[in-house]
Amino acid sequence: MAAHLKPPHNVFILPTPCDQYNPLFDTVQSTENFVLQRTKASKNQFLNSFLGTIQNVFDGKQAPFRILFRRQLNAQALMIAEAEAQKNIDHAWTWIQVLDDAQEKEEWVLTKIRSLVTRADKGTDDITSDEKVRSASRAFRQTFNVLPSERLVSYYSCSFHGKMMNQGWMYISENYLCFYSFMLGMETKIFLELKDIGDLQKEKSKRGVFADAIRVVMKDAREYFFSNLFHRDETYDILVQLTTLTMERLLRNTALEHAPGQSNGDDPESVKDVFSVDVDNLDNNESLYSPAPTTRPLRLGLEEQKRDSQFQLRFNLPTSEHLMEESSATMVHGDKTDMFHGRIYMSESFLCFICTEANPCVLALPLFTIRRVERMNSRSAMYALNILTWHQMRLVFRLNGPRTQCEKFCGTLKTNLKLQVRAMRSLKPFLATCFSEALLADRPDVSEKDSGLGWIFEFPGDPKKLKNKSKTKLWLQYFKDNGRNLTMNKAATFPKLIRVGLPNKLRGEVWEACSGSLYLRAMNPGEYAKLLKDNEGKMSLSLEEIEKDLNRSLPEYEAYQANQGINRLRNVLSAYAWKNPDLGYCQAMNIVTSAILIYQSEEQAFWTLNVLCDRLLPGYYSTSMYGALLDQTILEHLLEKTMPILSKHLKKVDVQLSVACLPWFLSLFINSMPLVYAFRVLDCFFFEGPKVLFQISLAIMKVNGDELLASKDDGAFMDVLKKYFSTLDESAFPNSTNPKARALTKFNELMLVAYKEFESVTAEMVAELRRNHQLKVVHNIGSFTKRSQLRNIAPGKFSKDEMSVIYDRFYSALFYGRSQSGRGSNKQGEARALDTNTFVSFLGSIAHWAQVEDDQMEGDEIQPINGSSQHRRRGSTSTTSTTRERRRVVGKHFISRLFERFDENGSGILSLQEVTTGLGDIIHGDMMSRMQLFFDMHDLNKDGTLNRDEILGMSESLLFIYRYDDGDTYLPAISNFIRNAFEFAEKVEPVKKEEFVVEDEDDDDEDEDSKKSKETKEDESGTEASSASKPTTNGTTPQPQEEPEIQMSLPSFRMVVLADETLERLFDSGFSDSFKLLEPLDRQRGLFAKEVFDSLLSEGRKLAGSIAGGIQGRGRPQHTPSSSSSSSLPTADANKSTASISEKQDTDAVVVPVAPGAPVTATGAAVAVSAGVVADKIKESDDDEDDDLEEVSREDADVDGDDDEEDDEDGDGDDLLDEVEKFLTEFDLEGGGKKDLGLTSAAGAVDTTSP
Amino acid sequence: MSQANDAAGPAASNMKPVQVKLVLLGEAAVGKSSLVLRFVNDEFQLNKEPTIGAAFLTQKCRLEDKVIKFEIWDTAGQERFHSLAPMYYRNAQAAVIVYDVTKASSLEKAKSWVKELQRQANPNIVIALTGNKVDLVANRKSRTHNDGEVDEDGEQDAQEIDEDEEDDEDYAITRQVPTEEASAYAQESGLLFFETSAKNGQGVAEVFTEIAKKIPLEHILSSSRGARAGGVNGSNGRVDLQNGANGQRLGGQQEKGGCAC
Repeated sequence: MAAHLKPPHNVFILPTPCDQYNPLFDTVQSTENFVLQRTKASKNQFLNSFLGTIQNVFDGKQAPFRILFRRQLNAQALMIAEAEAQKNIDHAWTWIQVLDDAQEKEEWVLTKIRSLVTRADKGTDDITSDEKVRSASRAFRQTFNVLPSERLVSYYSCSFHGKMMNQGWMYISENYLCFYSFMLGMETKIFLELKDIGDLQKEKSKRGVFADAIRVVMKDAREYFFSNLFHRDETYDILVQLTTLTMERLLRNTALEHAPGQSNGDDPESVKDVFSVDVDNLDNNESLYSPAPTTRPLRLGLEEQKRDSQFQLRFNLPTSEHLMEESSATMVHGDKTDMFHGRIYMSESFLCFICTEANPCVLALPLFTIRRVERMNSRSAMYALNILTWHQMRLVFRLNGPRTQCEKFCGTLKTNLKLQVRAMRSLKPFLATCFSEALLADRPDVSEKDSGLGWIFEFPGDPKKLKNKSKTKLWLQYFKDNGRNLTMNKAATFPKLIRVGLPNKLRGEVWEACSGSLYLRAMNPGEYAKLLKDNEGKMSLSLEEIEKDLNRSLPEYEAYQANQGINRLRNVLSAYAWKNPDLGYCQAMNIVTSAILIYQSEEQAFWTLNVLCDRLLPGYYSTSMYGALLDQTILEHLLEKTMPILSKHLKKVDVQLSVACLPWFLSLFINSMPLVYAFRVLDCFFFEGPKVLFQISLAIMKVNGDELLASKDDGAFMDVLKKYFSTLDESAFPNSTNPKARALTKFNELMLVAYKEFESVTAEMVAELRRNHQLKVVHNIGSFTKRSQLRNIAPGKFSKDEMSVIYDRFYSALFYGRSQSGRGSNKQGEARALDTNTFVSFLGSIAHWAQVEDDQMEGDEIQPINGSSQHRRRGSTSTTSTTRERRRVVGKHFISRLFERFDENGSGILSLQEVTTGLGDIIHGDMMSRMQLFFDMHDLNKDGTLNRDEILGMSESLLFIYRYDDGDTYLPAISNFIRNAFEFAEKVEPVKKEEFVVEDEDDDDEDEDSKKSKETKEDESGTEASSASKPTTNGTTPQPQEEPEIQMSLPSFRMVVLADETLERLFDSGFSDSFKLLEPLDRQRGLFAKEVFDSLLSEGRKLAGSIAGGIQGRGRPQHTPSSSSSSSLPTADANKSTASISEKQDTDAVVVPVAPGAPVTATGAAVAVSAGVVADKIKESDDDEDDDLEEVSREDADVDGDDDEEDDEDGDGDDLLDEVEKFLTEFDLEGGGKKDLGLTSAAGAVDTTSP
Repeated sequence: MSQANDAAGPAASNMKPVQVKLVLLGEAAVGKSSLVLRFVNDEFQLNKEPTIGAAFLTQKCRLEDKVIKFEIWDTAGQERFHSLAPMYYRNAQAAVIVYDVTKASSLEKAKSWVKELQRQANPNIVIALTGNKVDLVANRKSRTHNDGEVDEDGEQDAQEIDEDEEDDEDYAITRQVPTEEASAYAQESGLLFFETSAKNGQGVAEVFTEIAKKIPLEHILSSSRGARAGGVNGSNGRVDLQNGANGQRLGGQQEKGGCAC
């Protein structure tokens, strides 16, 4: 049987040169090639904590343990592993010995380590190229015990204000915000989940002197105050960025509906993710630029993402564009003499220029519109680029920067231009769809397909009154001067032309140019048609909803009473629903789209809708509508700031602003104002973005302030506004003597007020406010969703509070489960249900015994490289790894069988209801039903009885559940159970082994086992390993030849259980009490428990192995002595019923052999020790204790040198369980004396932790 | 039309109207807005724009010697607007939950609204369950019509739209919610029950009059007067009143609403 050894994760690092003789380090062990060192530890506790404090306060924190690789003499050593805790380094040290006697030297070792690091930690910080991040990430993950896949984003020195001020380090990772400080023996650990953060505020320090603090408020109102942040704003920005990403995931996690736009019969996996801007994608993008095996620190990626999105936002570019070059530059437009001083930017397919000085302009030039680029001979030897567009517009850019930078810029431009050649071909057909081209060429029009419904059905409003002709002329001139459509420079006069209102036929195109949807349409030719064609004939929930509203969108406009208009509307809305199935269709989109379609063609409207939903109104139309709610919160905030009296009045009379304003924002005033005015608002909105909506809303409040102040309830409030909208075309000053003032309509007045009085409401301000308020809004939505979902769950006997906890844990498991299994790659169908993996973490969050690390369950074993050397050490290492494998199997099987029980409809996933019902059955059922449950769960062949293996499986499961119990009674209870089970089970006719069909290799194992144990004693360890790894869960397993098969029925199972007090207690109350809903499992303890879990379960498996062995051994004519040949300790002779001393126990407890049935007192002592260690570990502040423990475990290491991952506590766990084994051995012996119970052959061998 | 609509005559104007906040809830396109429009303006629009967020309308009507001013919040029906609903139904004294008699799923949605209101809203809220669009299933035709044709929602919707466009009951659509079933549910849950047609006005006014009858008007009146006079928070006054009125209306829930069929 091939032995597996799993190298420790989180320990090995990319080899880094370092000095072997460091005054801070002591050499602990060394071999020919490797040195194990630890920081100088002093017996003096104060000095220790002082050193710790110093290390903690300064950036140069080094892990206390490290392994160096010695190269040739006198050459600098290479650090290949470092760890925070002894157990980790011990594991690594053990593992590294495999490499030690390799003949190949340096190169081979280094290659091995490198491949190990890159393989084990694929996509983690361990292969990041920044060494500092690497070690900080390691320290972070070891301190807080998070999964290796968790990536550290950044870390900062700061202080936390708890009872006192603690200076330490703040770690920010993808999912957590953590703080660690170690000050003079006082350790402070804070572990916050980003998803639970409710608010982030920049603050002044406590004394109010420096603006260097951040307040973090959790959604349960806990507050944390961090100060002394030297890079406070950077820290804040990173936190905001990360929480935003988390929010998006959270929103998706708790969305009310499944992707509504998804085709009814579609494969869920084919759905594209909406929130594709995710950390994962970042990495993907990165890999385009750096295909090297190392990844860059996550923080750089996040910064890049932020820079890109700002760049995209500023120029309204598609999200596919990334900022590649930028420089300060001067632009000269054509033959004019005006100079624009500003900055030039370049992305994959755009050249952008912005000037914010007195003569502002914004230009985003797609590279495929450039016909020629020349470098000009410029006077001052500066770089100057002469660019000629396809329509002969000439632009000169002078780059003001160092020569090298300019050259780099030009180089990139050249490369990018070459890549755009293909795109240039689609330019001509695209231009044919632009009305501006037709206008300039004096062609009458564009084709009907490329124009809006207004061309056919007239535009709303009187064209004369709208001064359509003169406006068109102005635009014609503007196009001639500043370029048109794709090449248009938005110069100083541009905003003015927009604000007076756009001419009808140009409106659609200028909307496109302003919003940037023009670029999307130009760069994705044919995509719209393809979407419609590909999805032809399919149906979805969204399509049904769209169908309902088609006749109800701007019904007063003629086109929508005819098929022509209806069809266009249907096409555009369905195409968008197919493109973005998670959003699908939201009422209000029909109104906006039907309005847009008057001025834009189908394809134009489709892309404009994309920009609307994705960028201008993010989250407005999503299933949770969080964007719309967020902006309502912001509007309330702005009202409070700008019109405090009105705001106060509304609060007093209990009027919610959003009852009136929400529809304005959702339908962009289209169904509130008369159409002509709504389009004027849209003109400004597409150019200036969502801030316009706020400005106009505030202006409406302002203009109607007096009347609103007089309104006493929301009814009156609504009436005022309704009346106002219906009189927008009336004169604002009908009694004025000035005819000009009399001519001013209320709408004009409104726009004036909006722009003049609310000038301070800028796009940046809106963006900032959105960031500040989003967490609260999302959490509100979360709690609403929770309420409404819980309302639809039959809670059984759970109380409201309990249901709330179940809900939280359920979605928490989903949230993290999703982030691990590759963000966004989850299947839609599982959006709101647990699969087996997430079920494990769910159970772990409510029941202590179910805490199993995911990666433990699936951890991939890495085969040791050197087979021969491995073979020599197999005695120790293989045992541990196979036991680990074994315990994983037991836990996994138990939980997955529970999963199957819960999964009533057999769908392979668990809904909240199924989980609730399942848990309810366990917790609120009676003892009988729980026994039934266990019986059924272990009756694998469903024959209504438990056979031998199923009984053993049951015992292993019981052991699994009990493994954290501090009591000392369960071990005898389980052995009692086995004994009684075999005693009371009905014997079936003895079966000859040959008659059995060999079903799996376990049979062979067992066979082997018995044979070998008889034949040779040398191979003890191998045998033991194989017998121990025999899964109990594999149906009928043939028994040793003489053994009769047994069957235990449910009644006898009950009897057996009831015969034992401990088991009775388990089924009576213990098991149901193990689910902690209202008293949360302590996080620290939980984390710690995971560490200990390994060892305990491993021992549990040994025990099970020995039990199995014992049973196998039963009926054999003679015992096989279990003396493990390699064991040098006296305990090895386990078949004598004398005091047995575990190898490890020589350092602390002496084990007293106990007769079966009597309380295992020595075990109790061992348990007490381990419990004590647990407590210490939790405190983790007592240095003395730690020192002792380290000593102990070092001795352990010396003695058995295997314990790869096991730590001090594990050692105690070993003691405890070793002893149980002994006990069981005794028991078997005695039983053997009484009856024909034999002694296990493997029992002794299990202990073979050879030195 | 009944007395409700033309009640706000000159005679009534000298009385202080009792304000009743009423909210309409129900699945999308069941006819909530049309129902209100029929009640308020006594008209019917074939293609009523979907409500975004909520629409607000008022209507006065006279009941015996009192004038009642209904403040009607007509909410959006699409599922994703659901999270906005609490904004509208908070402090409401009455709710009309509308379903479409030609669409079984709409009754399910109505039931979930009832559940939500009973747990989340004002504890004394008067709830009326209303099956709309009975004009589509006029008895004389519904039995003879081909039952098998409208199995699927989508198909049925399409028919419904055709029906609307043709502007007449050339053929009827199969009823999917039997009166008895909905009525039994309403009785069991203590709701008023009606079947209506916003299109021809059948049963619409009764919904509002029955609600008006069931609401403890005196208490609203006295409390809102007190609250307004004192210039304090009006709505708080309303809420308090209802808590006070709680005991008096117990038992009234058993009364079965008039069935319009």
